[in-house]
Amino acid sequence: MIFPLLRIVTGGVLLVSGFEKTIHPYQNFLYAIQAYQMLPGWAETLTAVLAPWVELITGLFLMLGLWTMQALRWALMLFAVFIVVVAQALLRALPLDHCGCFGSWIQATPRQIIVFDSFCFLALMVLLRHLAKTQRFSLDERFTRR
Amino acid sequence: MPKQKLTVIIVVGAVAVVVAVRIFLSLSAGQMDPSRMRAKGDPKARVRIVEFIDFQCPACADGALKLKKIYTLHPEDVRIEMKYFPLMTIHRHTMTASTYAECAGRQGKFWPMHDLLVERQAQWRDLISAEGMFTQFAREAGVEEAALQRCLASPDVEQTVMQDRDLGRSLGVESTPTYFINHKVVVGSKSLTEELNQYFGQNR
Repeated sequence: MIFPLLRIVTGGVLLVSGFEKTIHPYQNFLYAIQAYQMLPGWAETLTAVLAPWVELITGLFLMLGLWTMQALRWALMLFAVFIVVVAQALLRALPLDHCGCFGSWIQATPRQIIVFDSFCFLALMVLLRHLAKTQRFSLDERFTRR
Repeated sequence: MPKQKLTVIIVVGAVAVVVAVRIFLSLSAGQMDPSRMRAKGDPKARVRIVEFIDFQCPACADGALKLKKIYTLHPEDVRIEMKYFPLMTIHRHTMTASTYAECAGRQGKFWPMHDLLVERQAQWRDLISAEGMFTQFAREAGVEEAALQRCLASPDVEQTVMQDRDLGRSLGVESTPTYFINHKVVVGSKSLTEELNQYFGQNR
């Protein structure tokens, strides 16, 4: 039971994060990305437009358990990127009040979010390792039963 | 139903939900009714800027100074309108600064007070109590003190500030500074510079 629950929770995190950003002007997320001072201007804009959709779709698939293995890999990649981005900001001591990860809905400091993201990353690694258990109560399970 | 077909339906459904929510939010957004008291420039200027700022936010002060420079250089091309968006949870003096600016505005001294608040933000943002300094700024801006004190005690001042903030929220403003430049959303000082460069060039 714990594996499908973890899958739904981690998927939910991505879904909420992506949904908040896609329903609001992308410029809000662009502002958050600019604070990390990692990318050239054009890449910041591209990321601000595309990344929320990737989060949203990955989160949705993970929650529903559709294309579970692929969704887990995408989610792992996303959380790995989040960890690297926040870690470099902490190492460079960038003046960030909050991480900008969930827009205005949830505000967490970079230190809080790196712990949370690391937990999600580890959880996803475990889920990927136990794919059969993770796919319980999923749409994938319904398709394989047929 | 085949898996691929279900995948397409889910993706299209998710996009449709997001689009529907965006349409709902835009329909329920407040109207930006022009405030003459906190606006300067020709209402028919080719560049109309509405700024949502928090007086205690450093990026807002930076943006305000950029806008002041642009307005000084191109007064006939720019219309600037200011809206309050105080972030009280992180800035302890922001509401007080906003009420002083609003009361100065009610005496026709909004922009001198606004300029003093942003230009000297570094002097007051870390103070425990900033009222004394704000009163001094008001004097410098030419605000009549007795009327200022009466205004500050009036509950509708904070209400005006909060109305602006609620309007901003309904328009999707999440952080400060956020600008609407000819209706296009621009967030942050860096994006403001890039956008202004498009209108006035880099050597403005």
